[in-house]
Amino acid sequence: MITREEILNRTIEVIYECAPELEGKELKEDTVINTDAAIDSMGFTLVICRLEANFDVQIPNRQWQKLQTLGDVVDAIEKRVNK
Amino acid sequence: MRFRSFDHLLSHQAREIPGLPALIYGRDRQICTYGDLYREVLKRADQWRGSGKTCLGVLCDGSFDCVCTIFAANLAGLQVVLLDENVPDEQLPGLIVYTDIDALWGDEELARELAEHLARNGGLPPMQGGLGSGRILFFTSGTTEAAKAVVLTDGSLCASAFNGGAKLPLTREDRLLCLLPLGHVFGFVCGLLWGLSCGAAVALGRGMRHYLEDFAHFSPTAVSLVPTLLGFLLQKNALNPELKLVLVGAGDCPPALLAAAAGRGLRISFGYGLTETSSGVAISVQGDPFAMEICPDDTITLAEDGEILIQAPTCMMQGYYKKPADTGAVLRDGILHTGDLGTFDAEGRLHITGRKKEILVLPDGTKLFLPEYEAAIAKALGTPELALILRSGRPVLVLSGPARDKAEILKSLTPVTAQRPRGQQITDIVFLNEPLPRTATGKLRRWALQNRLEEQP
Repeated sequence: MITREEILNRTIEVIYECAPELEGKELKEDTVINTDAAIDSMGFTLVICRLEANFDVQIPNRQWQKLQTLGDVVDAIEKRVNK
Repeated sequence: MRFRSFDHLLSHQAREIPGLPALIYGRDRQICTYGDLYREVLKRADQWRGSGKTCLGVLCDGSFDCVCTIFAANLAGLQVVLLDENVPDEQLPGLIVYTDIDALWGDEELARELAEHLARNGGLPPMQGGLGSGRILFFTSGTTEAAKAVVLTDGSLCASAFNGGAKLPLTREDRLLCLLPLGHVFGFVCGLLWGLSCGAAVALGRGMRHYLEDFAHFSPTAVSLVPTLLGFLLQKNALNPELKLVLVGAGDCPPALLAAAAGRGLRISFGYGLTETSSGVAISVQGDPFAMEICPDDTITLAEDGEILIQAPTCMMQGYYKKPADTGAVLRDGILHTGDLGTFDAEGRLHITGRKKEILVLPDGTKLFLPEYEAAIAKALGTPELALILRSGRPVLVLSGPARDKAEILKSLTPVTAQRPRGQQITDIVFLNEPLPRTATGKLRRWALQNRLEEQP
């Protein structure tokens, strides 16, 4: 069983890997990924692909658009990872 | 060669080059030759003919099955509506009803629901135009409110592919990577039909999860990309050494990006076109990538105010589906009023200089319709003195008045922006300590504002 906190921490690690320029910037569950974290659509694609591989889950493409905050991403993974 | 229809294209290639690869796809790089492709499409067309269906919606995932289904349904005489596979669930029912879809491909659960719904309600009323119209519908990219289906045909799409191939021919030894969504006309024509009509092999990309690997996997020699994707691939060093030609289109492209690609020894061409013209009407073929030659079937003139006017008898849309007033607003006497502004250089090549209509074309090829977005922002902030512009390809809010706390303003806009696609999110705010530039009638001079802010660091 992976806890929500673990998912959040690993997600933040992946974001830092994909966007090293964000290293040191505080990322929280309510961080809006596009605006606060300034990750563009392609960067976001990379983050989600890495997260899917990392957690061995697949988030349907049609859900991606709805993932606005870091918390939304964690929700989407949490829903699938502990099934 | 100029093809009249999908059937003409596929049958001709099957006859002339039956053993050459038409499609390469999947993890194992399976090959489907031109001969096999036509046989497969004919087989599937027979099934669609016997189905009793009149309009097929295809959630385009870019797979081999998807491509064969589109061709087969067209050959069987069905109207085919190409839908982006990522269209949100809540938008899909509205699009299905609007376009008279009575069968859906690409999502079994939704297809079943649709079939049950139609059975309960006694099916659909007769479709406009009926069977055999050869119609292929594409949605103009943009918000739900402004989504319009553009009625094209297999003939207009083949003519557009011919236009592109005449300016930028591929050889039978080339391998074109089809990476862009087939539900967008640029992806369909320049990612698929361009290659097939030249007899090249088309490698079907495996979706966005594989963007970074597909170049090494398929070793293409040519690819069509939107600016955002080109930038991403360059940044991640994902392009393969065999790649020679990149056709960029469907969005404004920063010159630095084209220069970076050219710096890697790639031949870069830039295309200009609209869904309404079945994709490109002008392409740069040498030298300055922003100086575009007009394609053979098209005539481009400029209105007095510099608006680009297009006559493209073979490639022009029939109109917007069920929206005659919208069609009449842009297509008059066979001339499309594009809303884009341009000039011609001494060699008669077209340069795009701006946009007259209230739209921003984002680098991922999607469109941002400004009036509704700006009105919602104005309501949230309680001021009409604002404008959206593009900076480095991303929407930036310009607010007239002294500088204020950006983070607080962005936070207060979250209810307005949260439901919008990622590329439409506002990423920064610029404060302008003067009134916004406007015409005598009070209309915002958006491009003057854009130019003014581009001069600022």
